[in-house]
Amino acid sequence: MRDYFKYFDKLTFFLLLLLPVIGIFLIYSAGHSTQETNYLKQAAWLLFSILAFFMVFSMKIDFIFRKAFAVYLGLIILLALQIVMGVTVARTKSWFRFWGIGLQFSEFVKVPLALFLAKTLTQFERIDGRIFFKLIAIIVIPVALIILQPDMGVSFIICAFIPLLILLKKVKPAVLIVSVLLVASSGFIGWHSVLKPYQKGRIISFLNPAAYKSSTGYHIIQSKIAIGSGGLNGKGYLQGSQSKYQFLPARHTDFIVSVIGEEFGFINTSILFFIFFFIFYRQFRFNFQNDEEFYFVYLFNGLILFQFMVNVAMAIGFFPVLGISLPFVSYGGSSLLSFFIGEAIIFRIKINNYLA
Amino acid sequence: MYLSKRKLSTEFVKRAAFVSTIFLIVIFTGFFVAFWSIQVVNHEKYLQLAIQNITRVVGLPAPRGMVFDRSGALLAENKINFTLYLVRENVGNLEKTIARASFFSGKTIADIRKIIETYQKYASFYRIPIKSNLPRGTVIFIQSRQDEFPEFEIGMEPSRTYPLADRAAHVLGYISEITEDELNAGAPGAYGLGDFVGRSGVEKQYENFLQGLKGSQTVIKNNVEKIQHINSEIKPEIGDSVFLTLDLKLQEFVENLMGSENGVVGVLDLASGGVLALVSKPAFDPEVFSQEMAPEEWQAISNDPQKPLQNKFLQGIYSPGSVFKIIMALAGLQEKLITPATTVHCTGSQVFYDRVFHCWKPGGHGTVNLFTALENSCNIYFYNLGKKMDIDTIARYARLMGLGAPSGIDLPNENRGLIPGSAWKLNTFHQRWFPGETISVAIGHGSMNVTPAQLLKMIATVALRGRMPRLHVLQRIERGGKTIKEFVPEFYRVPIAEENFERVIEGLFRVVNGEGTGRAARIPGLDICGKTGTGQILAKDNPRYKTLTQEKRFMPNSWFVSFAPRQNPKLAVVVLVENGGDAGAIAAPLAAQIYKKYLENERLF
Repeated sequence: MRDYFKYFDKLTFFLLLLLPVIGIFLIYSAGHSTQETNYLKQAAWLLFSILAFFMVFSMKIDFIFRKAFAVYLGLIILLALQIVMGVTVARTKSWFRFWGIGLQFSEFVKVPLALFLAKTLTQFERIDGRIFFKLIAIIVIPVALIILQPDMGVSFIICAFIPLLILLKKVKPAVLIVSVLLVASSGFIGWHSVLKPYQKGRIISFLNPAAYKSSTGYHIIQSKIAIGSGGLNGKGYLQGSQSKYQFLPARHTDFIVSVIGEEFGFINTSILFFIFFFIFYRQFRFNFQNDEEFYFVYLFNGLILFQFMVNVAMAIGFFPVLGISLPFVSYGGSSLLSFFIGEAIIFRIKINNYLA
Repeated sequence: MYLSKRKLSTEFVKRAAFVSTIFLIVIFTGFFVAFWSIQVVNHEKYLQLAIQNITRVVGLPAPRGMVFDRSGALLAENKINFTLYLVRENVGNLEKTIARASFFSGKTIADIRKIIETYQKYASFYRIPIKSNLPRGTVIFIQSRQDEFPEFEIGMEPSRTYPLADRAAHVLGYISEITEDELNAGAPGAYGLGDFVGRSGVEKQYENFLQGLKGSQTVIKNNVEKIQHINSEIKPEIGDSVFLTLDLKLQEFVENLMGSENGVVGVLDLASGGVLALVSKPAFDPEVFSQEMAPEEWQAISNDPQKPLQNKFLQGIYSPGSVFKIIMALAGLQEKLITPATTVHCTGSQVFYDRVFHCWKPGGHGTVNLFTALENSCNIYFYNLGKKMDIDTIARYARLMGLGAPSGIDLPNENRGLIPGSAWKLNTFHQRWFPGETISVAIGHGSMNVTPAQLLKMIATVALRGRMPRLHVLQRIERGGKTIKEFVPEFYRVPIAEENFERVIEGLFRVVNGEGTGRAARIPGLDICGKTGTGQILAKDNPRYKTLTQEKRFMPNSWFVSFAPRQNPKLAVVVLVENGGDAGAIAAPLAAQIYKKYLENERLF
C-alpha cells in the first residue's frame, strides 16, 4: 500500500483534478447571468468521477482488458435501444434520463472502444486489408449509432481512432490508399445524405464567419470577440460581458475556453493550456509492460488530445463548430466520468510498471 | 494466426514518446501563438467589438417648446404618445401575434401583415412601430400582461398637441416626421430618424428655438437587445417658449366672424407691427401631422381644392383691384401730376388708345377730384392719372409701398406677388410694354398680384404717414423663464411726403364716413379710414361675365383695407373674402365688427 502511494503520479493526478475544478468555476460564471445550477451538478459528477477513478484504479489490468469487449457490446445495445426510445434533448436523443440523471451513453464508448482496439491491435503484425476492415467495423458500428442519435461531436471524435491506428501500426500501402479514398467518399456521402442543414451550416460558416453573421458564423465571431477582448489579464471573474450578456453561445460546454479567455486573459489561458500540456506529456512518457497497454495509452491519450485540439481550434475559428467540449473542463457529467475512468486505467498501467 | 501481447523494445517506446512530445510542442506552440495574436496583438479591436455588442445609445427626444399668445394663453404644447412596437425575434406564434396586434391597434390583419413585411429587411430586434397614439386603456392592458405578450413593447414619446385644434393653425404651422431623404441631404447632427421638424408657420420659423436639446442614454444590452441597465444619461432639454403677438380672444372672435366664408383677415397693432389676429380660411388641425398619418389622409388634405394648408395671408396671391388706387393717388401726388384740386369728368366710360374703358358706375360720377375719386372709387379719374404716368413709375411706387416683394413677416414660404413693369414684360413675353396696358394697371387690374400681407403693410404705412412697419408674429422667446430674444419694432421711412399721405387719408376717411363704397364699415365714435377693392376672377370683357358671376366660384374677391382711428392710429385691418362679390357689402362690415370689438373692449388688444 505504501508503494502504491509512493509511485502514484500525484502531480499529474492533482493537475487532472484541477481541470474540472477550474471547469466548475467557469461553468458557474457561464450560467451566472441566467441563474443556472449546472456547476452544482458538475461538482456532484466530479465527486462521483473521483470515486469511479479509484474503483477502476483498483481493478486488475488483465480483468479490464478482458471485460472490454463485453462493455463495448453492451454499450452498442444501449445506443441502439436509445435510438428506438430515446429522450430528445435539444434536437438530439443522445441523452438518456436515468433516475433523473442525464446519461450520454455515447461518451462511455470511448474507453471500452480504446481498450478493445488496443487488444485487437496486439493480434497481428501489420494492418492488411482484412484487418483494416475489421478495425473499421469496430469503430464504425458505434459511430453510426451515435450519428443516428444524432451526436455529431462525439462520433467525430471517435473517428480520430482511425488515423491513430494507422500511426501506431505498420500498414500495407494499399490499405493507406484505400483508406484515403474511403475518407473522401464517406465525407461526400456524409455531406449529402447524413448531415442536417444546421450541421452543414456550422461547417460552412467556419470558412467565412462574417457571411453567416446572424446564424452559425455568429458563434465563431462572438467567441473570438470574447477571447480577444479578454486581453492579457482578462476582465475578471464574472465580469466577461460576452458571457454575462449571453453573446457567447454554449458557454458552459463548447465555448468554455472563450469564457476563460475573456475573464482570465491570455496569461491564465496559457496556464490552463500548460496544465493540459503537462498532463499529456506525463501520460505519454513511461515504460509499458506490453504492447496492449501501449496501444491503449496512445489511443486514449490521442483521443483526448484530439478533442482538446478540436475544441480550442473551434473557439478561435480554426475549426467548424461541431459541438465538441473541452475534456475535463466543460460541463458534462458523462464525459467527465468517461475520461476519469480512462485516466484511471492509464494511472494503473503506470503504477504497475513501477511496481513490477 | 493468433498473436498475443508482447513486450516492447525500449527503443520503440522512446521513439513513440519523442514523436508525441514533438507533436505536443508543435500543437501547443501553435495555440500559444494563435491566442497571443487574438488576445494581445488584436486585443483592442476585439475589445471595441465587445463594447459595441453591449452598448447602445438611445436618443431621448426633447419635448418641443411651447407656444403662447401675447398674454400667455397656451397655443401648442406636448403630450405623451404611446406607441405599440413589435419585436419579431420575441414572437412565439406569428398568427397569434398578428391577431393580437390587430386587436390592440384596431387595424386589419392584412394591414398588420403589410407593416411587418415593410420592416422585413431591418436589423434583428428592430422595434417595428405598429400603432402610435395608443389609447391609455390598451397601454395599461398590455403593460399589466407583459409576460403574456413578450413580443410587444410600449414606447413613450412626447408628441405635439394643439389644445385649440385649428385655432390660429396657419400662424402655428405644423410639424411632421423627418424623411430619410431629408436626413441624407442635410448636414448630420441635430436630427435623426423619427424626429419631428417644423414644416410651416411658427413651428418652422422658430424651429431652432422650439426643437430643444435631445438627450441620450447609454444602455447596456444583452444579445437579444434587452436592456440590462442604464449606463449613463444626458437628460433632454425642452425647447424654448415662444410668445406670439397674437391675441387669442381677438383671433377667436375673428375666426367666428368669418363663419363659413373663405378668405383672410389680418389685424395689425400699429404701435409695434405685431399681428394681433391672422385668419386664413379654410383652416386645418395641425395635430393630425404630428401623429401617425395614413397616406390617404395626407392625399386628402394636400389635394383639397380649397387649399386648407396654405396660409393665404402670405401665400395667396390676388388681384388688388381698387385698393391699388391708394398707391396711384400717392404716386400722382408725389410726382406732382395731380393736386387735390385736379378734377376729371366721369361719364361712365372713356376712350384711351382707341379702346373704351368703363367706370364701375354705368352713369358715371360726374366731376370728381382726388377725394371724391377715392371715396367713390371712380375708375375714370385713375385711368386719366395712369395715362399721365409710365408703367415703371407706377411699379416704383408700388414697390416703395411694399408690393412685389415679401412683406418680411417672420413666417416662412411667403409669396412675393407680382408688379408688372416694362422690363418684366420684355423678359417674360419678349414684348415691349403698351401704354394701353397702363390704364388697366391704374385701377389694380392686369397681371398685378399681391398678398393680403402686403396690402396690410401698405395700409399700415399709409396710416403711419409713411413709416413702414416690419410685420411680425413673434413677441419674445423665453428659455428657463428668461427672455432670450425679443422683437424690437422696426419702422422704415418711405420717401413720400407726409402731406401726400394726409391727402390720401382724407379720401380714405370719406370712403367710410362719406357716401363712399365703404360706408358699411362706419361706426359712430371711431374715425375709420379704408378702401374697398374688387379683385376680378373673370375678365369683365368675358362675353358670359353676367351669367358666370352668378356662380360663387366666379364671383370677384372682395377686399377691404382699413385703419383706425384717423389720428394716432392704433389698428390696421385687411379683409379678403374670396368670391365675396360686392366688397362694400361683404368685406367692409366684417372689418367694422372688428373695430367695434375694439371699441367695446379696448383692453382686449
